[in-house]
Amino acid sequence: MASPQPPFAAQNPTGQGPGQGQGPPGAGALPGAFANLQISRGSAPPPGAPRGLTPQQVPPAFAARPGPPPPGSAGARPTFPGSPPAPPFVRAPTAAASAAPPFGGPPGAVAQPPPPYGGPPGAASQPPPPFGGPPGVVSQTPPPFGGPPAATSQPPPPFGGPPAAASQPPPPFGGSSAAASQAPPFGGPPAAGSQPAPPMFGGPRPAFPGPPGPTAAASPQPMPPSFGAPQQPPPFTGQTPFGGLRPGGQTPFAAQSAPVAQQLPFMGPRANAPTFGPPSWQPQGAGSGAMQPPIRMPGLPGSMQPNTLGPPGTPTIPYSPHAGTQVSTPSKIDPNQIPRPMPEASVIIYETRQGGQATVPPAASSEFIVKDNGNCSPRLMRCTVNQIPCTGDLLTTSGMPLALMVQPFALPHPSEEPIQLVDFGEMGPIRCSRCKAYINPFMRFVDQGRHFICNLCGFRNDTPRDYMCNLGPDGRRRDADERPELCRGTVEFVATKEFLVRDPMPAVYFFLIDVSMNAVQTGATAAACSAIAQAISDVPEGPGTMVGIATFDSAVHFYSLKRAQQQPLMLIVPDVQDVYTPLQTDLILPVSECQENLEQLLESIPTMFENNRVADSAFGAAMKAGFLAMKSTGGKLLVFQSVLPSLGVGSLSSREAEGRANITTGDKVCVDVFLTTQSYVDIASISVVPQTTGGRVYYYYPFSALSDPAKLFNDLRWNINRPQGFESVMRGLQVQDYFGNFCKRVPTDIDLPAIDSDKTVMVTFKHDDKLQENAECGFQCALLYTTVYGQRRIRVINLSLSCTSLLSNLFRYADLETQFACFLKQAANGISTSPLPRIRDEATNTCINILQSYRKHCASVTSSGQLILPEALKLLPLYTLALVKSVGLRTDGRLDDRSYWMSLVSSISVVLAVPLVFPRLIPIHDLTSRADDDSIIPSPLMLNSENVQDDGIYLLENGEDGLIYLVLDQFDNELSRKVNEVVNEIRRQRCSYLRLRLCRRGEPSGDFFRSFLIEDKAPGVFSYVEFLVHVHRQIQSKMT
Amino acid sequence: MSEFLDLEAQDGIRMTWNIIPGTKQDAANCVVPVSAIYTPLKPNPAIPVLPYAPLRCRMCRSILNAFSVVDFVAKIWVCPFCFQRNHFPQHYSTISENNLPAELFPQFTTVEYISTAETGPVAPPVFLFVVDTCMIEEEIGYLKSALAQAIELLPDQSLVGFITFGTYVQVHELGFGLLQKSYVFKGTKEVTKEQILDQMGFFAGKTKPTTGVIAGARDGLSAGNIARFLLPASECEFVLNSIIEELQKDPWPVSADKRSSRCTGVALSVAASLLGVCVPGSGARIMAFVGGPSTEGPGSIVSKSLSEPIRSHKDLDKGSPQLYTKAVKFYENISKQLVDQGHVLDLFACALDQVGIAEMKVAVERTGGIVVLAESFGHSVFKDSLRRIFQTSDNDLDLSFNGIFEINCSKDVKIQGIIGPCTSLEKQSPLSSDTVVGQGNTSAWKMCGLDRKTSLCLIFDIAKKDGPDSIVQSASNQFYFQFLTYYQHHGGQMRLRATTLSRKWVAGSGSELIAGFDQEAAAAVMARLVSFKMEAAHNLHVAFRLLSQYDGYSLVPADFDPIRWLDRALITFCSKFGDYHKETPSSFSLSPRLSIFPQFMFNLRRSQFVQVFNNSPDETAYFTMMLNRENVANAVVMIQPSLISYSFQSGPEPVLLDVTAIAADRILLLDSYFTIVIFHGITIAQWRKAGYQDQEGHESFAQLLQAPKEEADAIIKERFPVPRLVVCDQYGSQARFLLAKLNPSVSYNSDNPPPPGGDVIFTDDVSFQVFMDHLQRLAVQ
Repeated sequence: MASPQPPFAAQNPTGQGPGQGQGPPGAGALPGAFANLQISRGSAPPPGAPRGLTPQQVPPAFAARPGPPPPGSAGARPTFPGSPPAPPFVRAPTAAASAAPPFGGPPGAVAQPPPPYGGPPGAASQPPPPFGGPPGVVSQTPPPFGGPPAATSQPPPPFGGPPAAASQPPPPFGGSSAAASQAPPFGGPPAAGSQPAPPMFGGPRPAFPGPPGPTAAASPQPMPPSFGAPQQPPPFTGQTPFGGLRPGGQTPFAAQSAPVAQQLPFMGPRANAPTFGPPSWQPQGAGSGAMQPPIRMPGLPGSMQPNTLGPPGTPTIPYSPHAGTQVSTPSKIDPNQIPRPMPEASVIIYETRQGGQATVPPAASSEFIVKDNGNCSPRLMRCTVNQIPCTGDLLTTSGMPLALMVQPFALPHPSEEPIQLVDFGEMGPIRCSRCKAYINPFMRFVDQGRHFICNLCGFRNDTPRDYMCNLGPDGRRRDADERPELCRGTVEFVATKEFLVRDPMPAVYFFLIDVSMNAVQTGATAAACSAIAQAISDVPEGPGTMVGIATFDSAVHFYSLKRAQQQPLMLIVPDVQDVYTPLQTDLILPVSECQENLEQLLESIPTMFENNRVADSAFGAAMKAGFLAMKSTGGKLLVFQSVLPSLGVGSLSSREAEGRANITTGDKVCVDVFLTTQSYVDIASISVVPQTTGGRVYYYYPFSALSDPAKLFNDLRWNINRPQGFESVMRGLQVQDYFGNFCKRVPTDIDLPAIDSDKTVMVTFKHDDKLQENAECGFQCALLYTTVYGQRRIRVINLSLSCTSLLSNLFRYADLETQFACFLKQAANGISTSPLPRIRDEATNTCINILQSYRKHCASVTSSGQLILPEALKLLPLYTLALVKSVGLRTDGRLDDRSYWMSLVSSISVVLAVPLVFPRLIPIHDLTSRADDDSIIPSPLMLNSENVQDDGIYLLENGEDGLIYLVLDQFDNELSRKVNEVVNEIRRQRCSYLRLRLCRRGEPSGDFFRSFLIEDKAPGVFSYVEFLVHVHRQIQSKMT
Repeated sequence: MSEFLDLEAQDGIRMTWNIIPGTKQDAANCVVPVSAIYTPLKPNPAIPVLPYAPLRCRMCRSILNAFSVVDFVAKIWVCPFCFQRNHFPQHYSTISENNLPAELFPQFTTVEYISTAETGPVAPPVFLFVVDTCMIEEEIGYLKSALAQAIELLPDQSLVGFITFGTYVQVHELGFGLLQKSYVFKGTKEVTKEQILDQMGFFAGKTKPTTGVIAGARDGLSAGNIARFLLPASECEFVLNSIIEELQKDPWPVSADKRSSRCTGVALSVAASLLGVCVPGSGARIMAFVGGPSTEGPGSIVSKSLSEPIRSHKDLDKGSPQLYTKAVKFYENISKQLVDQGHVLDLFACALDQVGIAEMKVAVERTGGIVVLAESFGHSVFKDSLRRIFQTSDNDLDLSFNGIFEINCSKDVKIQGIIGPCTSLEKQSPLSSDTVVGQGNTSAWKMCGLDRKTSLCLIFDIAKKDGPDSIVQSASNQFYFQFLTYYQHHGGQMRLRATTLSRKWVAGSGSELIAGFDQEAAAAVMARLVSFKMEAAHNLHVAFRLLSQYDGYSLVPADFDPIRWLDRALITFCSKFGDYHKETPSSFSLSPRLSIFPQFMFNLRRSQFVQVFNNSPDETAYFTMMLNRENVANAVVMIQPSLISYSFQSGPEPVLLDVTAIAADRILLLDSYFTIVIFHGITIAQWRKAGYQDQEGHESFAQLLQAPKEEADAIIKERFPVPRLVVCDQYGSQARFLLAKLNPSVSYNSDNPPPPGGDVIFTDDVSFQVFMDHLQRLAVQ
């Protein structure tokens, strides 16, 4: 349908719109969420508004929420807005009676020996509770991830596919919980998501999108009126649709009338769909141009004190007035009215294309099930804007970045279809002979199918004879629907010989353990050994998965394990200036041949070095030696390091030289570094290698032999078991730059010695072309990799987006989370070269520029006194503030913490980017009083100190750390069990084993906790409200 | 002749001229230099061992000896070397004509002092095994069993270390109980002592002192750290055995067209540095077992590609491979390090092809190490030799360590240098001659390793010029020599052996000299000299440069022709000492004192020392090293093998080393030192094959067969390294071992036919008769 029409056309919703829209009227209304509603409805809290609510109120809201799929379904657990897409694995144990840790370790369990991955204790007895793949699953056809081909044919999703899981008793993950065993983990897939969803706030996008339908006319919805208008000049009109805005659609903060606000549909937490629906529309109609519901900050001028903004946003009338005057009145910003994130209600079913156009993907943090019908799943690749500007100027004007976040191994939702494998046999995948793009659904076959035109470069290719097929009346190949490569956005091709430099290698894991005096004495060595010993038993059993091990202090000690009934042989490489491997063979062996020896060795290493008095650590040399040992095979090098590298190549004195030296040798080897330390280790230097080899840094500081081993084990286990590929090469066209953990040798390709489900690569583009308004712009990411089973594949991910020449569309289709992830990465990237204050200013300026552009070009009609935010980006100021206050950009932080943060950010996914700087604050003191069918995790609170009550207990988590804040000691058993559940659920969501810390008021730990309350004012930094004011002022000053 | 043997028995010394030409010119005219072959540790139960310190001359530091003039009244003795008058110390106060200390007894020209108290506990000897692993499984098997046997024989208190090498060098930490642990060094890079200290954890947990010498337990290292690598044999037997048992072929792959990568050089450098760190200054031997050429890192002698053959004499002669020069330089540095530390390098080379003895020679020889060359680790030459080193028996080698050899002579005698297993300590003194031969420029030498057979060849320079002063100066016409050898006895204590000699000198040339001429010693000295000159010339040629004076190579022309040199020397010698009428060859005769010297020279010309082209550079180096460490008798056997005949007609009798000695009914026993050949005449061989020796009534035949075997066994038993035994029959292929040594008096083109049952040698070499004819003709001109 490439209908070139109106701006809106882009939105597919049209097709759908009607149908759905009809449902709950309210639904239609919501679109607010979608367009640029400016959130500001003064009074109206953004949809989903729970935030505004007091904690108590919230619960009900959710409960009521229709969102949840069919009752009973466990899946019901809706996740928060922030919640990551459903992790594949089923959830954790419930049973937990404590023990069962989801992911890893048992929650509280920490102290206990961690059961295998989260497997509930009981679970342990089961076979392998590998992570992704439920045990059963594994044994079944569908192998985990890139699973063997077989997988493809089957429906069960590759990865721990839930469905499969569901059917089985044992939930994948060792899952235990009743939940799991019952319905499909996640709210059962489709059913759940599809219809029911709509409820709440206009329900999931699918619902709304409809509204703006270009063919607005068609839509029977209420909105019509508004539409009509829209078509006209004011581009924005289109936006109106969202009833969301309605009344005060454009509520400036200034707005007065508090009362009104309250009534507004959205806000109500409890506000059920029905409620708002109706009303909302009307207003809109009214405000034709209304669309921009800006937030207006009336009082900017003086007066306002942050919190004092009293009157909740009053819904001012759309255009209202510039009530400049009003503004000036002492009106205040009501902190409860300012934009805040809202939890997403329910599972969404998302079709990637409809009506011949790309649809707008749901928020990354929401739970959704993707139906790939042309475009790839947004999990795998998503763009900062969902319509591509026709010209570079347009993009520049908008101030927004054009970038893709590519997470090629992102965990799918359990209910999604697995990626299909296509084997072209000898011929190899069809490619454009000019630009080498792979065949995809957007290549157009012409001339009775004899030729096809590349969607990326426009070249006309001959169709290979074997691949000929006639075209149908619709101009598509008749076989298009049978061929995945012609109907799916993501497919995998079997790589032919020309893609092989050599035979694919089995997976290789090489462990390097620090045994210097400090490491041994702090228990880090023992922890590493025991983690490895346990993890090895779970290593994916490819044909001949291989392992090797070495230890190091001032020298590197290798172990030759191939000695039948004999003890291992220890071979020391003493020359740490010029390292080498002592043997060519026998250092790395198939697990099956050496497991017993290896376990014994791991057991004896801590004793063997018990009295080691060597304080030095030749980390760089050890790593290099590891590289050499793996030179012929490639694979993963897992390094456990405890002290500052002080010797040999890569010692600190020569740190600059080191990174480079190692990179050159680091060919096909991916390095992960586990820093179990109690002192400064110079992460900035150490992280160079993992970052350039597709690995990452894990940081346990200050290392505690009591509580950290469980995390260490779980991290290691996930590291080894998560879906991943080796020796990958990824390429894209017209790329400006790549960000992430990889090594770039030629401008077009990046090499990733390993790539796993957690790694994201950001790709930015140079826009120097002029695109046709009605055309589509295609993106293709091709990833050549080796599966853990030693098969060579090419994963091709396609995304084709409409082009637009309207700035307003750009804003409307902006993807906040993706953009934010982009800003986050850019900020982190700048840390090493620019002073922190400048980075913070740049972040703020970026935010201001975007908003200013919007204000100037899309909402110029509104009063200058209003702060107007595009709906899609309404949270940008909040997130920007969070970024400015983040660990990485704080001036007062430890250097290592900042460096760690940087390294984390460089490969972080969109889903985890936001929580990293904008953590969730969860009250946990009242867990026991919650109903069983509530979501496991209570709704998060806004991050300000008003929400932290003296008698409460709170859990604050950012995907890495979990801070438990309490004023009083008040843990009873029931509660702690519940807390465990919560923590485990979070661990599952984040694919990360939260490191829990207790924080108490009045202690430094308490201050630390409070430093995460983003909305609060901190010395030298704005509070949220102040920040909004600041932003507004800046915009104003630029406008004039 | 026998008087020379008696002198040797008493003092371990043989001199070419026992009556010395008295002036520089006279000496030069004598052709054969004034020189001595001295065996410092020659066992002699008659030598008194004195449990006190020697008395030294205040002036020249020589030791009180039987030739000192003593004034019993004044309690004064006069040093025969510098004529200094020295007072006896208090404890000699009781001295009188009837109460002499042993060192003054005229018959005790050689005495030995045992140092007393001053040294602490006896340092145990150290054996550091350095074992090649680049061998085929079979060879490794042989080596393993030989090593295992050696380990059993090690003295309990001796310290043992173990290093293996191939592509890399592995230093085994024997003191680590939990599992087998070894430090692995790259084969391509030399390892210094500093690196060993830093990298092998000698300072783990402690800061390393920034200054001062760090080495050994006395200088900064903890005994515990040393004991990680060097353990008493009694404590590490188990570990050693398990390491040896698990020895495997070097695991690095070798493609079919390549030699294995073997880093002998670095292994030795690591071993030297390890010893330097742990036990500097106390007796230690590196025992290297090498199964092939070094191809990796410094000290490699050939590239890995099999298409490149290992250097031959021809290659070396015509400009030669780069590698050779570099390797020699490398091993020279190792030898310097070892000498500084007082450590020995022993080389056991067992391979069908060369392993680089020619390059390593410098390190072995200068440290006084043992060298054994065999075709295989399974060969008795190797196995029995190794056993002999550790086994206690009558023929003990009496391995001793850390020797220092010093010399004192009368004023008119200077020392040019020593050809033999030692290193100049560069102790300049008036005694050292400007002319340098071998290890010179000094009056003291280091002998890191020495044993009862080690024999040094000292080349003297008679400095006295003709003239009136000289006669005044020396009242007597005696020259005095004193040889002092300090060493660590194999029992552990330090000892000093002092030998003092006097020899008469005569002025002018003359028949007097002939009486003191020792033909055998002269042959041995000439052999050492010629091979030294060949090597020097050779190295010169190779390097295209003049080596330092100290190496004594400067006098040798680069195009040195050993045969011409020998011939000219012999002709001049015969012209001077022969009786003849000028221009009348037939009138030529030599005094019996000189008569066999030409024959020695004839055989020397034909020997492996001069005719090197039949051998590889490794073999030549090996032969030369043996020549340079053996005494006169053995040297003579090497030059001119002995031949004994066994037959029914007579008892065993020596026969001429001539092809005519071969007869069908004789058994010949040839001893060429390195090889012993039992040769059965054709008839004997047929009888033996028919098995008569096992039949009754033929006991005498059995005895005849047995006799040479017993003789051979007797020779083998007392010889080290163990010689190779070849048993062959006339006309058999192995018979070449005999034929090659015989004078070709009957060859395919000679006039006289062989005697019945005799043999013919197919050669163009001249026979002794022809050689003598020419000699006579030239001598009388």
